[in-house]
Amino acid sequence: MRNSLVLDKNYLSYWLRQIRQKMSLIAPIRVGNLGVVLKTVENIHEIELNCPASIPSVKEFLFPQKEDMFRFSEGTVDILRNDTKRLIFGVRSCDISAIALLDRFFGENFVDDYYMSRRENTIFISIVCNNPEPTCFCLGLGTGPFLKSNFDIQLTDIGDRYIVETYSKKGLDLIKDYYYLFSKPKKSDYETQYEILLSSQASFEKRINLENARQKILIERISDPFWDWIGRRCFECGGCVYECPLCTCFNVLDRVKSEGSGTRFRIWDACMFKGFTKIAGNIWPAEKKGTRIKQWYFHKLLYYPDHFGKFGCVGCGRCTITCPGHIDMATIVYKIDIGDRRRR
Amino acid sequence: MKTKIKGIYIPSKAEIVEIIDMTPVIKLFKIKPKRQFRYKPGQFVMVSLWGIGEVPISITSTHGLHEYIELCIRRVGHVTSAINLLKPSAKIGIRGPFGNTFPIENARGKDVLFVAGGLGIVPLRPLITSIINKKNNFKRIALIYGSCNPTEILFKDDINVWQKKGMHITLTVERKDKGWKGNVGLVTEYLKRPKISFRNAYAFICGPPIMIKATINGLSLIGVHEDNIFTTLEAHMKCGVGKCGHCYVDGKYICTDGPIFSYAEIKKHSLFPS
Amino acid sequence: MNKVPTICPYCGCGCGLYLHIEYDNIIGVSPVRNHPVNNGSLCVKGWNCFEFIQHPDRLRYPLIKEGSSFRQASWDEVLKLIAARFSRIKESSGSDSIGIVSSAKCTNEENYLMMKFARAVIGTNNIDHCARLCHSSTVGGLAAAFGSGAMTNSINEIANARLLFVIGSNTTEQHPMIGMHMLDAVDKGAILVVADPRRTQIAEFAHIHLRHRPGTDVALLNSIMNVMIREGLVDILFVKRRTENFDSFKDTVMKYPPEVAERITGVSAEDIKKVARVYATEKRSMLFYSMGITQHITGVDNVCACANLAMLTAHIGLPMTGLNPLRGQNNVQGACDMGALPDLYSGYQKVADPKLRKKFEMAWRVKLPSTPGLTLIEMFDSALKRDIRAMYIMGENPVISNPDASHVWDALKSLDFLVVQDTFLSDTAELADVVLPAATFAEKDGTFTNTERRVQKIKAAIKPFGESKPDWEIISALSRIMGYDMNYRATHEIMEEIALLTPIYRGILHHRLDNNYGLQWPCPDVTHPGTPFLHRMKFAKGLGTFMPVTFVPPAEIPDKKFPFILTTGRTYFHYHTGTMCRRTSTLEREYPECLMEINPRDADSLRIKNMDKVRVSSKRGAIIVTVFVTERTPEGIVFIPFHFKEAAVNLLTNPALDPSAKIPEYKVCAVNIEPVK
Repeated sequence: MRNSLVLDKNYLSYWLRQIRQKMSLIAPIRVGNLGVVLKTVENIHEIELNCPASIPSVKEFLFPQKEDMFRFSEGTVDILRNDTKRLIFGVRSCDISAIALLDRFFGENFVDDYYMSRRENTIFISIVCNNPEPTCFCLGLGTGPFLKSNFDIQLTDIGDRYIVETYSKKGLDLIKDYYYLFSKPKKSDYETQYEILLSSQASFEKRINLENARQKILIERISDPFWDWIGRRCFECGGCVYECPLCTCFNVLDRVKSEGSGTRFRIWDACMFKGFTKIAGNIWPAEKKGTRIKQWYFHKLLYYPDHFGKFGCVGCGRCTITCPGHIDMATIVYKIDIGDRRRR
Repeated sequence: MKTKIKGIYIPSKAEIVEIIDMTPVIKLFKIKPKRQFRYKPGQFVMVSLWGIGEVPISITSTHGLHEYIELCIRRVGHVTSAINLLKPSAKIGIRGPFGNTFPIENARGKDVLFVAGGLGIVPLRPLITSIINKKNNFKRIALIYGSCNPTEILFKDDINVWQKKGMHITLTVERKDKGWKGNVGLVTEYLKRPKISFRNAYAFICGPPIMIKATINGLSLIGVHEDNIFTTLEAHMKCGVGKCGHCYVDGKYICTDGPIFSYAEIKKHSLFPS
Repeated sequence: MNKVPTICPYCGCGCGLYLHIEYDNIIGVSPVRNHPVNNGSLCVKGWNCFEFIQHPDRLRYPLIKEGSSFRQASWDEVLKLIAARFSRIKESSGSDSIGIVSSAKCTNEENYLMMKFARAVIGTNNIDHCARLCHSSTVGGLAAAFGSGAMTNSINEIANARLLFVIGSNTTEQHPMIGMHMLDAVDKGAILVVADPRRTQIAEFAHIHLRHRPGTDVALLNSIMNVMIREGLVDILFVKRRTENFDSFKDTVMKYPPEVAERITGVSAEDIKKVARVYATEKRSMLFYSMGITQHITGVDNVCACANLAMLTAHIGLPMTGLNPLRGQNNVQGACDMGALPDLYSGYQKVADPKLRKKFEMAWRVKLPSTPGLTLIEMFDSALKRDIRAMYIMGENPVISNPDASHVWDALKSLDFLVVQDTFLSDTAELADVVLPAATFAEKDGTFTNTERRVQKIKAAIKPFGESKPDWEIISALSRIMGYDMNYRATHEIMEEIALLTPIYRGILHHRLDNNYGLQWPCPDVTHPGTPFLHRMKFAKGLGTFMPVTFVPPAEIPDKKFPFILTTGRTYFHYHTGTMCRRTSTLEREYPECLMEINPRDADSLRIKNMDKVRVSSKRGAIIVTVFVTERTPEGIVFIPFHFKEAAVNLLTNPALDPSAKIPEYKVCAVNIEPVK
């Protein structure tokens, strides 16, 4: 159930400090001139409330780039699992939408205990985006800039106060003990909130229509030379996959410490690498860059909707920021949509 | 909704009880798992070697026949090479069983044809055994099995038993040696040999990718329906449970949606590695 | 989870990234958004640069060789042993019998200390590092032409240039983030000219791709300038006001009309004319070069020819206009800046200059040697002649990286005493008498200087692995035992000393670099914002000098016995001798074995197929490699990367040196290829 309250901005740090006594607090922090990153908060006053929407996704807090799975020694296994209680503050709607999909992916049929252990112990406070970046396009996908459901706590900045909405029980529990900090919203607060949502929606620069691209792919059967042409610009960095809040591929490896003992860990992997599908005996099924890029786009634009009923993209625009060759989701979808088949 | 399975990445202990050399590069491992282990024909396990890694391996034994499970392993990559060096009583880890099974029930009352190439006999063996044991449920049963040369014919004892139980068997080799008096050539040259009704038959194929492709083409030409042709596919796998993404092709996970697919599905999703 | 901003340890781009730390484990990496170099991107090596840091192969404690194997030792024991041995050798055979190899992978502070250790503690100028093998010709050539041997412009200017002339650089693979800026420029309408025998990824985007024969760069560049002079495309005003020696240069260039160059280089005269016209007429032209220019016996000549080209057209001294050598290692620029060179102190101050030497003598309170020392390659030659008796190698792997590797191996074996300080037990370390475990970039503070002269701060993210220590701590501890007091509590104190003694670094101090994008030298005082481009209004040495250069063919040309030209280099997924990248799972999986690129027509004539094994041999040795048949490489030329110790291509390469810079000719040698059954 969606529940609205109002919090004076002056009380925010007090509230967070109270919560931090129970769990570790992660929030956007400014690192000098280098920008803003999500990390464990040491000093609550350092939290950057006006952080850009495009900081790296929270995926790594639930599914880190490298995660130890278990230690082994003489055949006995010692399972490693992170179950630290955490509050992640300042997350954006696109990330919360992505996590809802990750929950389904990691939770269906076979449950990924490592993800679930981190996930169950993490609560999110998301902030409604009132300043989308030029790279953002969540609006057309319904994954932002604000959410109507499936969040823990959502804040809307209405000047000197926040509208605080709770949806999940986890979220409600964070507020329960501190009701004295909150007040009931007035009618004018709702009006301000509504105006902010409208102006936020109006300030999106990119309008990307994934559904059109999907239809074009299904009907027109985009030819392989198109993907090879795109592939020429690929740097094979894997950045699109690493940054994508919905990419979940990993490799599993053993690291031996001494004879018979060591650690098995998993590490992010990417379908952009030709070794990703390599089979023993020197067989490389996806040798061409274009083939791999096509697989990534088909996964996000076709297979995701088939399986989850949603696109495998939340419009966060991080691939746009990170791709050195500018062959990111927004660019490619736009090219497919307008039928751009130029060779250069 | 299926039941949810937890602890999916943790191998359980197993002991190698016996090793049989099949060819210089192929060995049969009899493995005794520590815990209860139920499996169906066509399924695979992830075999773990501590400090070296994991590989998917098809189970070649039939559930319920023995206390141990049998894995037939050829030396190709670095994990299988390491397995090859193991001695009896060595401890390994296994996870699984994973993957789907052959749709035996659908073939009830029909002719059944098996086509195997080289190591492809391995996943078919438990299927053949269970079908032969319930032979009355099926009509005619036939096997076409091709090997590189006579020494590389695997499971000769089983083949004799199957023949005695009434299975029509065609063996062929690519290169014959002195003692060989049988057929020479590729399996595709002998597809019409078994006297079965191809229009109503179920065909189960396994072998190297080129052989699978050629056999499927051959069988469709002689009238086997593409919904009734089944084969198992091979892919790079790390988890076996549809999470790691390596075997994801055209919206299908080879590990959980497969490894057994009908030709119709293979065509629809273009699952063959090009 | 903590995130520590630092700089990528691979190539000279100097990309900003965060290391992600959870319970003292490095669990990930993310790029710094808006960084002037990488702008939120990273290449595959950057994204995976953390995996080797906590690899179990890391050296955990000091090792002393006993018999043929190593035993664990304490820091106290090894340092005392090294001090005693060095002192004894210094007494018996003189200071100059010790050779020091510094490292372009280590920080500025550490390189400075190493050079101070060599000069003040040991008393020798025998200090060098791997810049000798990559850009010593740049340092020498550009110093003679302009007075300063570094990239003249900044990376973030590239995207706004109008013309890019890339010669001898596989930019998208070796400097991916610079390649990214180049593609941006092309997208914005810039003209891209690539001169490279191989059809590299960047060449696919080129408007004009010149596939000249390896080692014919001087002829190519001279004839381009010939066209410019003949067609009146020269900027006369610039040449008159800001340069000297034009006339003698003109005489030389006039001997290279395009038709002559066509015969030498294999590039059509028409293409040469086209390039001359676009390069001269476009304003905002940037020239980039890398190992393809420098690693020749004519390395300095090649560099001078590039410099001449820039001066002739006045394409220098302005934003988005200049001559840009792309440096290889993450801190090779810094190691040169810090004077880890046999003839220079920090900031390119000449050892031979008595006034400058006096300054360092006063600061360091010792008498300093006045004659320049031995270069890297010469040190190994001297070791074989027993003139060098002991060596101290920090963070380098010459057994794999130097040309004619078996010669290096022999040289190191003949030493009385060898100390290797590294993060892993490299092939060089295996020959050492004492191995010292060093900390990686993630475990220490300091600064790296990237290819565009940007001095950037790195920060310790975790505790050093095992008992390993940062190199600066090891060097200062060793100096103290040897009786020279090096007392630094932290790296910022070393930086203060560097700033004091080095005019170009005078304003660069750690507190200015923390959580910031760094400063580009020259930075003459603490309020100076740094210098994005060099030679504005005036060259560093006053007037720019035209250096007439003539074409000299490579030292080894193919003949009947060795009919192919072998050229070496790097691949995208690996870095140098592979100590780091080959311990990174993703990189190793992508490129697990040494592949020799060969043209399909050559492969046909040799009757070899893709993925076959072949034996490649030169006059010096032979290796077995796997063949990769590709159109990228032209006929008659094969390419082998040098990362793989199991197929060490440097067993084949020619150790012929450039006469002044002493850089070996890695890019051309003659080989024979035979199929292996």
